[in-house]
Amino acid sequence: MDFGFTAEQKMLRDSFRSFFSKECTTDQVLALWADPQGYSEKHWKKMAKLGWIGLAMDEAYGGSGYGFLDLFILFEELGRSQLPSPLFTTILSCMLIDLCGNNDQKQNFLESAINGRCILTMALLGEDGDPDFHSPKIEATIDENGQHRLTGKRWLVPFANSADAILVCADLVGHEGGPTLYCVDTQTEGISCTRVETLYGENSFHVEFDAVKVPESRIIGAIGAASDGVERILSRATILKCAEMVGGAQYVLDETLTHVKARHQFGRPLGVLQTVQHLCADMNTFCVSARLVACQAASRIDQNLSAEKEISIAKAWCGNAYKQMTWIAHQLFGAIGFTEEYFLHLYFKHAKACELQFGDASWHRARLAATMGL
Amino acid sequence: MNLTFTTEQEDFRNQVRQFVRDNLLNKGFKVESKGLIADSDVSFSKAMSEKGWIGFTWPKSHWGQGRSYVEKTIMNEELYRVQAPIGYHFLADRQVGPSLIHFGSDWQRSFFLPRIVTAEKGMMFCLLFSEPDAGSDLAGIATTARKDGDYYIINGQKVWSSEAHLADYGWLLAKTNLDAGVSAHNACSEFILDMNLPGVKVRPLINIAGEHSFNEVFLDNVRVHKDYLVGTEHNGFRQIMAQVDYERAGIERLMQNYPVYDQLFDYMKVKQFQTRKPELYAWAKDQLARLTVEFETGRLLCYYTAWMIDQGKKPTSQAALCKVFCTQYEQRLNDMAMRILGPMSMIRKNGSNAPLDVDVAACYLWQPSYTLQGGSVEILKNIVALRGLKLPRD
Repeated sequence: MDFGFTAEQKMLRDSFRSFFSKECTTDQVLALWADPQGYSEKHWKKMAKLGWIGLAMDEAYGGSGYGFLDLFILFEELGRSQLPSPLFTTILSCMLIDLCGNNDQKQNFLESAINGRCILTMALLGEDGDPDFHSPKIEATIDENGQHRLTGKRWLVPFANSADAILVCADLVGHEGGPTLYCVDTQTEGISCTRVETLYGENSFHVEFDAVKVPESRIIGAIGAASDGVERILSRATILKCAEMVGGAQYVLDETLTHVKARHQFGRPLGVLQTVQHLCADMNTFCVSARLVACQAASRIDQNLSAEKEISIAKAWCGNAYKQMTWIAHQLFGAIGFTEEYFLHLYFKHAKACELQFGDASWHRARLAATMGL
Repeated sequence: MNLTFTTEQEDFRNQVRQFVRDNLLNKGFKVESKGLIADSDVSFSKAMSEKGWIGFTWPKSHWGQGRSYVEKTIMNEELYRVQAPIGYHFLADRQVGPSLIHFGSDWQRSFFLPRIVTAEKGMMFCLLFSEPDAGSDLAGIATTARKDGDYYIINGQKVWSSEAHLADYGWLLAKTNLDAGVSAHNACSEFILDMNLPGVKVRPLINIAGEHSFNEVFLDNVRVHKDYLVGTEHNGFRQIMAQVDYERAGIERLMQNYPVYDQLFDYMKVKQFQTRKPELYAWAKDQLARLTVEFETGRLLCYYTAWMIDQGKKPTSQAALCKVFCTQYEQRLNDMAMRILGPMSMIRKNGSNAPLDVDVAACYLWQPSYTLQGGSVEILKNIVALRGLKLPRD
């Protein structure tokens, strides 16, 4: 048991933080939220050059060969900065291809993604916004030329318009067994993306597939065998989302403490008031504990140990902790926190979005209860 | 960063489990839940001592084993799972030993430490800190220790002294500098008080669970030899503050009611909750999962605090927030357990038709004490804010 980070991990964190803090201000985040592309090419190129897209990917495909905990730190710092980019979705897509794909596919997709030439996204959500990959309401048929064709709709797909390829599960008609994973070229005829405005500003789309042709070379893994791989990657995505939350939570705490020390009312700093002190103590407890539960799950994933229980504990706890911290922060910042120009709303929105993604606390508690035989 | 246990740590955990089976469970020990300090059983303490598990974290140079606080937490976690009867040595091991190692005289160390680690008879300690007018504000104590040649004459009243009626010695805080101009922080000293001395009177206070745990202790011209002054005269307040983190850090704050949590699972599975109350099953399941999330979170906070101590870091703020979290969890646990179990859970002491083996009603009745003893939640949040987060003082 070791709660400390190695010297190398600390250096890694410093380099992430210095990049993000240099490249990302509240104004820039808002501008990118409003931007149709949703991210900056300049940032993307830099992150690729720094080796971050392939941080935990195999060196054979141009990756840097770091571990899952290093990736955790990257997403912690991303959460802290709120820089909009398809980093999350591209990295998770790479992990999915790496897990399920054949050598050619890995050569083809991973290398170009890691080098920043190609953006990948995943379209796993059904009509009610939950992952439904076990029985996706996307139909795949094989036409008279032996081509696979996908038809159906996916919801809340991040960066679908800028992605070069979308990973999507479909049920192949006439084929018994589970869903099949396709890596669909977004330039193919029959794909239409509609941007949706959501609570959080990240680029998000409903995507419709209308008899979209997918060559056999773009079927990732065996037909009918997508479930296990997707499940596995979603569990990793859940913890990297927790990392984002932990990073965001730490920043909200840091800024709140600075604020209550500096802001004077009635002739003294807010921070001398016991009510304010206790709220800050509560925020601190949320923040410390969220990091611990998330790191526990990340440690187990890093060591290839079973982590189902720990992942659910982490997501259930972090989702609530981060959200409550942003509520307290809003109370302590007062009216300025309610303005768009101020940073706080980014985290308030981020917290709510993260809470709902990859299963909220109730969903994970149900899963946790199941792992304990209830 | 690696929050999993090493093979050695897992092995050690198994050793403790085996020990608990051999010495308790296979000998008909009944798992109960009895507040912070478990039952006192000298023979069990002796058995632990033979394993080297008393004085476990003390340095080897001081009759200890020099093991880590993380390992100690592993040990305590396993002991508290069954509420093992460690009350005899608990305070001496956790508080008295480390304080003597830091501040005690050579005589005090060589007299007490070897006797504590061997669980010798006559070595049970209690704390004599709080007074009727000095609870959270310990600096407000009024008990005096006036120097008289080689002796101190102690007068005053202590209160909330757990197990004082069983203890052989008390760990006492009293005022040695009586000048009005001296702040309380520079006026107090620590003493080891032989509870059998003339002038020491212990009166039981029955708590709301109907149990005799804490006491009032009256001190009437008690003559204590100066050899029993611990550390530096007038420096007692600072000495206590330096040690109190260890008191707060322990996993016992999370697991005083572990049998309730544990038995709730069995109750849900074995007693066909789902069939009998289908409309409540989803709710009860969710609540139990919620308690699990909180328990596991608290558990990590405890291990994190222990690890900080092992790293030589000052765990003041971390230990305080850990205790706040854990004691509040225990309150929710008992409340939720009774709501899940329904009206039959009011039946005390395994009476007819009580739903669990453990007296869950008693656990509920104990719970107001959890968020008060060892620093109230409010005081602890002050510590987190002022010392951890460096918020300004008024």
